[in-house]
Amino acid sequence: MLEPLARVYERSVAAEPADAGLFGPGCIVWRVHRDRSFPLAGMRALMVQALHPLAMAGVAQHSDWRRDPFGRLAATSGYVLTVTYGDRVAANEAAARVRAVHKHVRGTDPETGLPYAAEDPDLLLWVHAALVESIMTIVQRYGRGLDPAEADRYVAEMVPFAEIVGVPREMVPRSAEALNEYMRSVQLVRITEAARDAIAVVLDPPGLDDDTRELWHDLSRVATGTLPDWAREAYGFEMPPPEALDREYVRQLLGALDLAFESLDGVMEARRRIELRSRS
Amino acid sequence: MVQSRAGRGAALARLALRIGGRYVARSPRLVFASVERRRELRHDLALRSADDVAEELGAMRGVLMKLGQMASYIYEDLPETVRTTMGRLQQTAPPMSAEMAAGVIKQELGAPPEEVFATWDPLAFAAASIGQVHRAITRDGRAVAVKVQYPGIARSITSDLRNVSLLRRVVGTAFRGLDTRSLVEELAERLEEEIDYGLEARSQELFASYYDGHPYIHVPHVVPELSTARVLTSDLVAGSRFEEMQGWSQHERDLAAETIYRFVFRSLYRIHAFNGDPHPGNYVFHGGGRVSFLDFGLTKTFTDEDLAPLVDAVRLLVFDNDAAGFRDALERAGFLRAGAPVATQLVVDRFGHFYGTVLKDRPMTITPEYASAIVRRFFDARSPLAPYSDVPRAYVVMQRINLGLYAVLGSMNATANWRRIAEEIWPFKNGPPSTPIGEAEARWEAGRSIAV
Repeated sequence: MLEPLARVYERSVAAEPADAGLFGPGCIVWRVHRDRSFPLAGMRALMVQALHPLAMAGVAQHSDWRRDPFGRLAATSGYVLTVTYGDRVAANEAAARVRAVHKHVRGTDPETGLPYAAEDPDLLLWVHAALVESIMTIVQRYGRGLDPAEADRYVAEMVPFAEIVGVPREMVPRSAEALNEYMRSVQLVRITEAARDAIAVVLDPPGLDDDTRELWHDLSRVATGTLPDWAREAYGFEMPPPEALDREYVRQLLGALDLAFESLDGVMEARRRIELRSRS
Repeated sequence: MVQSRAGRGAALARLALRIGGRYVARSPRLVFASVERRRELRHDLALRSADDVAEELGAMRGVLMKLGQMASYIYEDLPETVRTTMGRLQQTAPPMSAEMAAGVIKQELGAPPEEVFATWDPLAFAAASIGQVHRAITRDGRAVAVKVQYPGIARSITSDLRNVSLLRRVVGTAFRGLDTRSLVEELAERLEEEIDYGLEARSQELFASYYDGHPYIHVPHVVPELSTARVLTSDLVAGSRFEEMQGWSQHERDLAAETIYRFVFRSLYRIHAFNGDPHPGNYVFHGGGRVSFLDFGLTKTFTDEDLAPLVDAVRLLVFDNDAAGFRDALERAGFLRAGAPVATQLVVDRFGHFYGTVLKDRPMTITPEYASAIVRRFFDARSPLAPYSDVPRAYVVMQRINLGLYAVLGSMNATANWRRIAEEIWPFKNGPPSTPIGEAEARWEAGRSIAV
């Protein structure tokens, strides 16, 4: 399960990038996106993103993620890493591929009866905001931490991330407060059958061996515990007991998982490249 | 989906074990950790804050790497692992920045290193378990090695070790058929000891003062006034590292192997102490069989009662050929459950392998294959003895060094009449010197008892 992610990791962090890409040394994005809590942030982001019926319908009707959920996860993760750590050409090419795919993703959501198009900046913004808000929340709680000023910087630095897939710059929140305000303002949020389906797979993906499944369950439970109350209630998840959300305990889980990941070929080397570039 | 904490632990444990194995299997180029290799320390990646340290080694990372390393000592094909496993923890963790190391010195010794020492090298020259080593010259002109602990690491290891149920499962998976409770207690205790350099300083001095003046065995003295729980200052040792020595002539390697063998058994029988870290990086070679021994972070001392059944076992098996008595001694030591329904001859066959180097009075070569065979046989879970055998807590560290010693001697392809050397050292034998090193040692010992 971790191997495809490791291959993607190694590939996405180029050894000799032509330039610093969309971000660069001194930015906070580089630091935040290599946080060991990232898998948890990703899991939570999926849970939030799925709450928009039109975003969810696009995925449900046009993606074959169900056949190969980890392949799909690796692809998404490769995109985030390439845009984060790749040079400008690599980042723009990756974004162009996403936009090309989005052109064909359109249809009607069966539950709301509303038409959707993946190119719709409103939908793209939702997906972006849910990701950024999840990363911010999880890194604050279980990662190296982000003080309020750093959180604002992170949200602001991530604006180009939305821009390159087609969100007009002026639509994208530039501070933590604006981001939270935006999340609260989105009206069309509800849980659909498609979302329930998708999140059931996120909670219990096929093909895990018993050991890994238990660990996965623990982490996904932490993810549900960090959702906004309305989102958790929408899914009907119970609030996990406080000890399951304890920072130290969760960091131990993440530490073990991360060590398994880091022990795969190429991961440590890629991380060292990131670290050296951050320091340059 | 309520799950017990224990259930959670199981998943993690198995995962951690895989990590251990995988981690250990990689990175063969960065073997012997405490080797002097400033160039290989990634100063460009230096940890710059206590937060950096927590990221690198906190949240189970350090403890799991250490457990993987320990498991690999005992679990797998040892000569193979001895080349690839040791010091993954050290090699994984980049060194501290000069500023952070200086901060530890200031906190522990009350002043910045440039004031405490006449000369201080701000860049570490070697990695150490949970720390790093700097070269310095004291104000009274002693060249010293100063081991500096990562700040905050003691706290995070202690906290991770508190998750006992998790650790027990890790070890239970790694050491099938053995008593996991006692093993975990032992390992956790050792790790906790390792983070207190004060204990290590006392152990090192125990060895250093015993071996004072020994013609072949050297243990550097501690400088107590420059040592604390987080800083350990001892005399600097210069010489060749293990891989370099491996390029020497077989004769030279045999001499070095003999000294290592003497050091291990003499320490056990004469000072009742074992340095439990059979790590080739902890030896420094000077040629002609002279060896310095470093790193006493995992020292175990034994009482007469601990040792008596082991001494009996050797005597009964090797000299008296008394199978029943041998079995009885193993049972008294706790290696074999009393009254186990297995034939005594089987017990002799199985456990006797451990005494293979001393059974016959003749030169014998310890090959890598011989060393692995011993380990494999010992940990063979399919053995009819497996349900009844155990490693009693008092002997876990001894176990490690025994296996580690075979691995080291095996990789040196060492030849000697091990039996004769052992006879010199066994207290019930006190045999005559059997080699030139033995003769020099006997002279040293004679002089030593006069001095005392």
